[in-house]
Amino acid sequence: MSELAALQGRFMRWLLQGDPELAADVADDGRLPLQTRLEVYRNAYGLRLAEALADSYPAVHTLLGDARFDALARSYIEAHPSTYRSIRWFGDRLAAYLAERAPWCEQPILAEMAAFEWALRDAFDAADAAPLARADLAALPPQAWAGLRLDFHPSVQRLDLQWNTVQLWQAIDDGREPVAPERGPYPVGWVIWRRELRTWFRSLEVDEAWALDRMRAGAPFAEVCAGLVEWIDEAYVPERAAALMARWLIDGKVIGAHA
Amino acid sequence: MTVSLTYPHLGIGLGLRKEHYQSILDEPPQIDWFEAITENYLVPGGKPLHFLEQVRARYSVVLHGVSLSVGGTDPLDWDYLRQVKALVERIEPAWISDHLCFTGAGGINAHDLLPLPYTGEAVRHVARRIRQVQDFLGRRILIENVSSYLSYRSSEMSEWAFLGAVAEEADCLILLDINNIYVSARNHGFDPLEYLAGVPAERVQQHHLAGHQDYGDHVIDTHDHPVPDPVWRLYEAAVQRFGPVSCMIERDADIPPLEVLMEEVERMREIAEGAQAAAHV
Ligand SMILES: [Fe+2]
Repeated sequence: MSELAALQGRFMRWLLQGDPELAADVADDGRLPLQTRLEVYRNAYGLRLAEALADSYPAVHTLLGDARFDALARSYIEAHPSTYRSIRWFGDRLAAYLAERAPWCEQPILAEMAAFEWALRDAFDAADAAPLARADLAALPPQAWAGLRLDFHPSVQRLDLQWNTVQLWQAIDDGREPVAPERGPYPVGWVIWRRELRTWFRSLEVDEAWALDRMRAGAPFAEVCAGLVEWIDEAYVPERAAALMARWLIDGKVIGAHA
Repeated sequence: MTVSLTYPHLGIGLGLRKEHYQSILDEPPQIDWFEAITENYLVPGGKPLHFLEQVRARYSVVLHGVSLSVGGTDPLDWDYLRQVKALVERIEPAWISDHLCFTGAGGINAHDLLPLPYTGEAVRHVARRIRQVQDFLGRRILIENVSSYLSYRSSEMSEWAFLGAVAEEADCLILLDINNIYVSARNHGFDPLEYLAGVPAERVQQHHLAGHQDYGDHVIDTHDHPVPDPVWRLYEAAVQRFGPVSCMIERDADIPPLEVLMEEVERMREIAEGAQAAAHV
């Protein structure tokens, strides 16, 4: 290994682990304590990454408060240092981290909130794509419908949330007093997406969540219709399926259709 | 015959920040160009790219990277460079820049501008990598001097000698950050005027001005304050030394409304134009 590579390795070990070996490389000119010089870099490293997390997860920050969020940030930074060129992607594993690690996993709404905030962030700068107009689909011949598959906007994200996470997020986002976390009787499906420059989200009924997941996985329309009998009488399936499709088109979630 | 190494002069600029997107488009300010942080726009789509393109439709834009790690010892990140190249093709910036530093090692990004030792080994290493980047992007890039808080026992030369040697050996251009010179001069006890005198003038394409935090026995480059008087004075000296160089203000925290920053922009313009007038006497 070159001298330069060895030095840079020592610098990183100082930043990441506080390994003091780097001190021997640093010139002591008597102007400023050597330890102060080293600390400037280590403090800046932790602060910058903690700020990036706070920026990506403002509601998790509010729920935890400054001191506990800071403890979380320090722990996460140590567990998952950044491997990305852009700091925008740092923090991508926070939801999983909160779900697994004590003490945060004892408050399950934290992991859900992190997943929701990261989904918002992904929708915010996902690729652009023009939504399909309803007229484009209306022009399809009737025999094409059974094999119809849809392409969805790159911003579309799906989450199933057990807690009143979104309600809580909205209160925090509006600057209101957060409502108390409450666990629902069953998980509720949510969809998050962007239309032009605006991010949207809404809850899904259980059959819509299933249908959307299947269509996003590439299933043909006929298969999804057949599956809907799980929730509704066969006689009403065509009407329900058409209504769901119309809704997705109006939302701007669909960008292509092919047989 | 002398052939200029540099790109055409752009004039007086400002760092593009998301807080100002809407004001810039609603009431386009009297600014010659904007500098956008490259990494903020290496995203698939949405608002960031939308606004950058809107700004680009009205102004010249340059791209300023923070994670090339051109002084690093991990291999160059070609995936990152391909993304930069695609952004360059989309935005057509007047030029692109990054920093004379390393930003990580062992696959970890520290997201900070970490200092290099000023050695012959480092000059050759960094210059070779700058040349590879320039070959790939098909253009000369600018490298910026960073603020530093420590220096290495192994250094064999001054920071300005190092900067000059890298620029000459790589045949690249220089983004000379006036605030960073001031900050490093205070932290290491060198004379900032000696720094200015030691930089190869024909390679200086751009300046940065910014504010910092003064802790008495050391100074930290925070970009969260207006440009302070000592940095304005050093800028005047730089204008004396280098003549008209495209210059802009970097503000990254406690970002005030655009009209407040415009007061600093105007002060910068007066200093730059005063020097230009003097040069023509
Ligand atoms: Fe700078």
